[in-house]
Amino acid sequence: MDYTKLKNRASWPFETIGVAIAFSPRLESILCEARILSERFNANLVLMHVGDRTRNKEHKLSELLVKAGIKESSVRIIWSEGEAVQTLLHLCKLNIVDLLVMGAMKKENVLQYYLGTVARKISRKAKCSVLLLTEPNKEGSKFRKLVVNIAESPKTSHTLNTAIYFARHNKSREIVAVSEMHQPGLAMTIAEDVTAGEAARIRKEIREGAHSMLNDLLEGCKEECNIEIVEKQITGKPGYAIRAFAAQKKADLLVINSPDVKYGIIDRIFTHGMEYILEDLPSNLLIVHSRVNTAE
Amino acid sequence: MSFRLGHSDLIILLLAIATMLILSRIVAELGKRLKLPVVMGELLVGIVLGPTVLGTMFPEAFAFLFPLQSNEKVAYALDGIFSLSVIMLLFVAGMEVELPLVLRQGKAAISTGFGSMIIPFFTGFAVAWFAPDIFGILDTGNNKWIFSLFLGTALSISALPVIARILMDMNIFKTRIGMIIIAAAMFNDLVGWLIFSVILSLSGNGGDHGHVGYTIGYVIAFGAFMLFIGRILINRALPWIQTKLSWPGGVLAMSLGLCLLCAAFTESIGIHAILGAFIAGIAIGDSVHLREQAREIIHQFVTNFFAPLFFVSIGLKVNFIENFDVSIVLIVLVLAYIGKVAGAGLGGIAGGLKRNDALAVGFGLNARGAMEIILGTLAYNAGIIGKPVFVALVVMALVTSLTSAPLMRMFIKDTPELK
Repeated sequence: MDYTKLKNRASWPFETIGVAIAFSPRLESILCEARILSERFNANLVLMHVGDRTRNKEHKLSELLVKAGIKESSVRIIWSEGEAVQTLLHLCKLNIVDLLVMGAMKKENVLQYYLGTVARKISRKAKCSVLLLTEPNKEGSKFRKLVVNIAESPKTSHTLNTAIYFARHNKSREIVAVSEMHQPGLAMTIAEDVTAGEAARIRKEIREGAHSMLNDLLEGCKEECNIEIVEKQITGKPGYAIRAFAAQKKADLLVINSPDVKYGIIDRIFTHGMEYILEDLPSNLLIVHSRVNTAE
Repeated sequence: MSFRLGHSDLIILLLAIATMLILSRIVAELGKRLKLPVVMGELLVGIVLGPTVLGTMFPEAFAFLFPLQSNEKVAYALDGIFSLSVIMLLFVAGMEVELPLVLRQGKAAISTGFGSMIIPFFTGFAVAWFAPDIFGILDTGNNKWIFSLFLGTALSISALPVIARILMDMNIFKTRIGMIIIAAAMFNDLVGWLIFSVILSLSGNGGDHGHVGYTIGYVIAFGAFMLFIGRILINRALPWIQTKLSWPGGVLAMSLGLCLLCAAFTESIGIHAILGAFIAGIAIGDSVHLREQAREIIHQFVTNFFAPLFFVSIGLKVNFIENFDVSIVLIVLVLAYIGKVAGAGLGGIAGGLKRNDALAVGFGLNARGAMEIILGTLAYNAGIIGKPVFVALVVMALVTSLTSAPLMRMFIKDTPELK
């Protein structure tokens, strides 16, 4: 298997869109969404199912493809067996999938959340970008308002470029670039020996730092942008603050970096970062995998 | 005998508190101009007001203002205030511990955290175990065992507030190195205070082995309950408290009340009250619903009322000149620097940091600040250490805090992104 094509591959454009197929009641909607996205991005479609290949399933899929307006001959359909998450991740690598589309529940019950469902597990581990659709529909989701998390990470420039690319192809109206202002120990430090003026200066410097970071990112953007980008700074715990903001803003899509570290069950117990978002999806979610590993 | 404070007792108590608060603030503000930490000013006021200066030069004035020996009622009242102060200080220290931050920083933070705990701990433990007489510890019973555990813990702790301030002043707080230092300091604080609370409870009962197991079991059970179940319950209750009760009175009363309840509980089961306060702080501080404003109000209240009283009280108890033992001070200083810098440095390198970055992390974590002084005071009050070791720990806390920033600068000057 040749992984060299994957290494340093940009997170955009989306040349190949993968779809994880589960024979659930939402499959037709997912297929419709995938078809519409592939048309918008002019991308190839790869449909992947992990499980038994039976005549019934083949028949059902053919029927649904027709309903979704997808020509069977124009897509690659892969049937594979094995453990769902690992197999899907492997298939994504093998087929150089740029964007994996999956349906996901907005919120899972406690047991499902801690044990992890396929969609959530893939979101944590995927080596390609992942689009989780909370309410897939046959007409295709509208992505009018995008909220992009501007985190301090080398990945963020890729994420911002990908968000702009996504917005351009989906005729979005607004991108809100959100910086989460969280400085552990700040309250304690300010309380100790800082005058009101110094406290205001420290806060101003933090805000200006976030503002100049966004400006640098926008200046370095390779993707042409003719959509209004609104800057917003919010306070709160990373992950939770942007989740609340996206929900309050009624965003159609929240765009975030892929995680820097491997997430496990301990990260769900002591929730942080992306886990706050996966705990209760505020909107559709695009996790941009930039293939830049900051943990190294 | 009446246990109510009399008219004159109350006046003395109020005068003592007012003197401590006003003088410590004035001296701290003067010290700030010389870039000295606030705690240094507070300690200095304690030394001036205590037996070291006032008690020696004007013994009658000292006996009038701080009648710790001659007036039982005032002494009890002051002791109660000082105990409450240390409980509150540990509560706010806990509020700043973010376990998820340690997880988020990954391998480098975890290995730095471990390294900066384990090597100082074993360095301190080994020196105390093999040469207890240097510190004036008798090699009898459990004395040596408890003192060795204590010295190891004392050397492995860090001071998050001092470190956070240094990183902010150097403008490297949000860099990778900065976040690793903060995450490792949080890890040091969490483990250090857990171990110290076990040591304190052992020192109170002679440390028979049957009880050691119970004590550790209690600590783990209480910590696990508060950090798993308590944290979730607090997280659910806070939005209600912050919206349905008066603001910020409701959240202040509930948070401080919970802190005292937890402190009372841990004290009642034979672990020191500080553990309950510290864990309550972690559980409350971790909540995503705790508003930043509420957090700041709690910090302001504790840092500007309880902290000065506590740190001034240290100088009231000990004569710093009489108990200044150069050899003990030097040994503690050398152990502190070697253990922390080597431990954090090696941990950082194991976590993937470059040599200079790892050394910068080591010197950053070396700042002990107020946390070390609190730890030393509690150990002194519990009879684990004598006055000379206590004085040495206070000196070490101040020296490491003052030298941390310049030493860090030496090693990060070649790292362009940190300039």
